[in-house]
Amino acid sequence: MDFLSQTYIALRGPTGAPQSAVDTIAKLSDRLSPSTLLADRRAAVLSLKGLTRDCKEDVGARALPGLLEVLQNDAEIDADIGKAVLETLHQLCEVDEGTKELGLKHTDYVLANERTTHTLFALLGDTNFYIRYATLQLLSTLLINRRHQVQSYFLKAPAGAPSVIAVLEDKREIIRNESIVMIQALISQSPDIQKVLAFEGAFEKLFNTVTQEGGVEGGVISLDALRCVDGLLRFNSSNQSYFRETPLPSLLLSLLLFPPTLQLQDAAPQEFALQFWDNQKVANVSLVIGIMGMLIGSKGSGSPDSSVYIRCFIELALGSNAPTALKTQTLRLLPTSLTFPLSSVILTPYMPVPDSNGEEWDRLEPASALDVLVELALHGEYNGLYGDNRGKDGLELRGAAVTVFNNFVHKDEIKQAIVQGMLSSEESTDAPSISPLLHALCIPPTSPLNLANVTTTHIATLVFSHLLGSSPRSKTIARSIKPPSAIPPTPQGQFFVPADGAPPGPQSVETDEDDAPQSVLHLLSENLSLCFLSRSRMEGTDDREAREWDRLIVGYLCLLAQWLWEDSKAVREFLEAGALGVLVEPINQTSESESLVPGLCAFLLGLCYEFNRQPGEITRSTIHPIISRLGVDTLIGQMTLVREDERFKAIGPDSMVLPYSTHAPLGINPADTEGEIWFDWAFVDFWKSNHYTVQKGFAMDPNTQASSSGPNAESAMLIGSLRDVIRAQAQEIDDLQNKLKAVSVGETQLNDLQSQITGLKTELKESEEKRKDVEKEQEDLLVLLDEMSTKRRKDKAHMRAAGLEVSEDDADGDEEDDDDDE
Amino acid sequence: MAGITWHYVLKFIITGDAAVGKSSLLVRLTDQRFLVNPDPTLGVEFGSKLIEIPEEGKVIKLQCWDTAGTESFRSITRSYYRGAAGCLLVYDVTSRASFVNARSWLADVREHADPHLTCILVGNKVDLCEENAEGASNGRREVPTEEGQRWADEEGLLFVEASAKSGQNVEAAFEQASRDILDKIKRGVFDDDRSPGVKLSKPTNGNLALDQGSAKQGCCS
Ligand SMILES: Nc1nc2c(ncn2[C@@H]2O[C@H](COP(=O)(O)OP(=O)(O)O)[C@@H](O)[C@H]2O)c(=O)[nH]1
Ligand SMILES: [Mg+2]
Repeated sequence: MDFLSQTYIALRGPTGAPQSAVDTIAKLSDRLSPSTLLADRRAAVLSLKGLTRDCKEDVGARALPGLLEVLQNDAEIDADIGKAVLETLHQLCEVDEGTKELGLKHTDYVLANERTTHTLFALLGDTNFYIRYATLQLLSTLLINRRHQVQSYFLKAPAGAPSVIAVLEDKREIIRNESIVMIQALISQSPDIQKVLAFEGAFEKLFNTVTQEGGVEGGVISLDALRCVDGLLRFNSSNQSYFRETPLPSLLLSLLLFPPTLQLQDAAPQEFALQFWDNQKVANVSLVIGIMGMLIGSKGSGSPDSSVYIRCFIELALGSNAPTALKTQTLRLLPTSLTFPLSSVILTPYMPVPDSNGEEWDRLEPASALDVLVELALHGEYNGLYGDNRGKDGLELRGAAVTVFNNFVHKDEIKQAIVQGMLSSEESTDAPSISPLLHALCIPPTSPLNLANVTTTHIATLVFSHLLGSSPRSKTIARSIKPPSAIPPTPQGQFFVPADGAPPGPQSVETDEDDAPQSVLHLLSENLSLCFLSRSRMEGTDDREAREWDRLIVGYLCLLAQWLWEDSKAVREFLEAGALGVLVEPINQTSESESLVPGLCAFLLGLCYEFNRQPGEITRSTIHPIISRLGVDTLIGQMTLVREDERFKAIGPDSMVLPYSTHAPLGINPADTEGEIWFDWAFVDFWKSNHYTVQKGFAMDPNTQASSSGPNAESAMLIGSLRDVIRAQAQEIDDLQNKLKAVSVGETQLNDLQSQITGLKTELKESEEKRKDVEKEQEDLLVLLDEMSTKRRKDKAHMRAAGLEVSEDDADGDEEDDDDDE
Repeated sequence: MAGITWHYVLKFIITGDAAVGKSSLLVRLTDQRFLVNPDPTLGVEFGSKLIEIPEEGKVIKLQCWDTAGTESFRSITRSYYRGAAGCLLVYDVTSRASFVNARSWLADVREHADPHLTCILVGNKVDLCEENAEGASNGRREVPTEEGQRWADEEGLLFVEASAKSGQNVEAAFEQASRDILDKIKRGVFDDDRSPGVKLSKPTNGNLALDQGSAKQGCCS
């Protein structure tokens, strides 16, 4: 620098005024011409470089053409001048705070044609340290400023790809690191560049770097290299299929210390499960997991390759000491159509030894992945160790576990099997074994509330509603579940026993002999009513506690809504358990502070009205006056408030955890990271598709037929119009057949008519085919219709039995059968 | 699980005019399918396939890049030549223009590829000629077999006529080229450093065993 400023002073003279800087620059620029001596050009470049910081604009305006010329002609030959000119250009193009425009202007000049860019990619082939380094820096800057332009030049550069790969292989760390940074920008959003670099072996080179840096234990270089790999693969199906052809997919597993050949029945090794974690490693592993998730996602979950990945994810999320955020990430990356055999994979969960600072871990009893997943959802990580913690991270993880569970039970058979499993508990007489889910669902609310239990029960309502949601059979089974009459309100998960500890003795709970076991549904409505009672005492005293009660109430209400929907038997049971009183009160006493509960109660009330189709003590006619008194408009208004509530609106398919602060009362300052759960996406979806039916139902006369239990207007219209089509086509076929007959009779006209017959035959075939399709479609609809009318007849019989008036207007089932037979 | 799964990985490129059937040949090779209306390739697509050369007792993994034929993409295509061990230079036997243009594609290959690259000239779409092969006109053929063969001989190229539609000679084309490459390897024409398109399944010493075939599972399926 000294040298530079001396040159500068020498050139401008000791008393140089600002104007003479411009003169100096002009003079120096002239000296860049190829006609001067190389040594002079070198000196000129160095001086210009010194001036660039203070006179960026003038240097750019005057010297850029000459500098580019020098780059072109001299950089390759003379490393010193090469380095100097590259650095000068870099300074000119760099966009810094005050001179944003200027950097871009210079960049545009440099990129005015492909020449300079091609020179730069050629210079990358130069092994001189300074040349490579400075070239990489300049390219990075140009890419940051005008990526598209550089990318399009790169694609035409004679040896672009090979020289980029060459710098990736450079043994000198600084060069290699800088090249990774440059490549990240170069490949961004350009599938063609991604492909050509993959072809040239970029994956292999990048993973070499990762491995040399110590894998996921490596620093920011590992991270950048993994980012590059991610960039080469994401949105690039061609590269993904190439990548799968390499041994790299199993290398990804090895990076995580997961054995790539682990069989389903084998346990994951402890070195995988228990690792030391720091922030850098978390970032690296997060990238590896992201890449793996992308490869699973693009292939579907069926293939053997991705099943090892899925196993790895499950082990990481459920049986490792990885940080919470990573566990959440892996759960979210599992495929939504999860076919992995969760219930038959056995894994070993761990728990930190208290006060060991995460350095010692207890191994717990092996359990099926499904059990551990449910346990994680219900109680949180590590056997509920932090069950009362409301940290957003922890809740996100539990929410993600709920979503995975939901995806897993997508098939009705699985739902039924699990619900069936909850039944068996009543059989065993001594030491009542109770499913953890059922237990969590039935914990009686205690005042003051136990924070851990509120979350546990709330999540249990979410999980349970996934088991029942749109599964009439599961609902039927669930109605017969009778949990043991006394549920011990245990504060946290108790379903895993440390491997070296003794199993817990039978719970010493006194069972009241007279207390016959109640059904879950009954128990839930009782708990709900208890909650309302405690909640009403809360008003105006402890807002935070009130909010907890509200949350629990919302959980019960959402579960009940999804359970009772289209299940008239459950509706009856709920009503007989005293539902009306429980629901009406909150609707009546709307409080300022809470907008969700009354709306949800209104929804449930309307739903009970709509589906109260079983004979019983409480009929539609019992409910109708209550609805009238509350006012249909009021009820609908309250339901609208639910839809407008932030806690409802903010829910997406992948996000159910909200920051606690949304409505946090003044004076309380909960930790920033505190979160809370109100709804999950399944309920929001359910509400959106069904709230209108309920609203419409409010206004219906008690004697109106159920609107959603018969064929709705739309399908009735469809059936009607299909029937018309068939009739028309049958007619057409008849006509054609007659015509054919007539044609074949008239022998004299045979020749003329022959062609007509052929035409008609094809026409006939076509319409017959069409008719078959329509017939098939109609058959399906009729089967459906038949099921519905059987049900309706049954309902009517019940209603008649119950002494209700039943309309006789629609004995139409038989006519439909006739149409079907033709 | 799987023991040895392949002995060599060979990189192939497929080049030639647009619409001669390059993508179709690749799809035929890897998926045993033929699409009447394939998407015109925008960039380069990738496919791979294991083939066996019984008389050598070798299993070969073909990694095949399908290049786009239009002029605007030609500069990208060149990048691929350098790294390839084998090249399928394709023309359409029902299009003389595509055969004439094959000369300029070959010039490109010669200019950019490894001098030892094995190139096979493939006259595609022969199925179109055989429809009425009994007749005198020999269908829509515009390039006689002899002419293709003659030019291949002149240029020192392998030669085959094939059809992506019927599958005829598609695998054979790749096999013929692979045999030639194996032969060159045997004769010591390549050394490992000089042909980026050939990789042994043995780990290179000291380095990460990235190219070790046996490390990958389930690839034979
Ligand atoms: N009859 C016939 N058509 C073919 C054959 N191969 C390709 N085609 C058709 O030729 C057209 C161009 O094929 P395509 O694979 O896209 O050519 P590319 O541009 O070279 O990749 C498509 O309509 C293909 O269906 C073949 O062997 N026989
Ligand atoms: Mg194509």
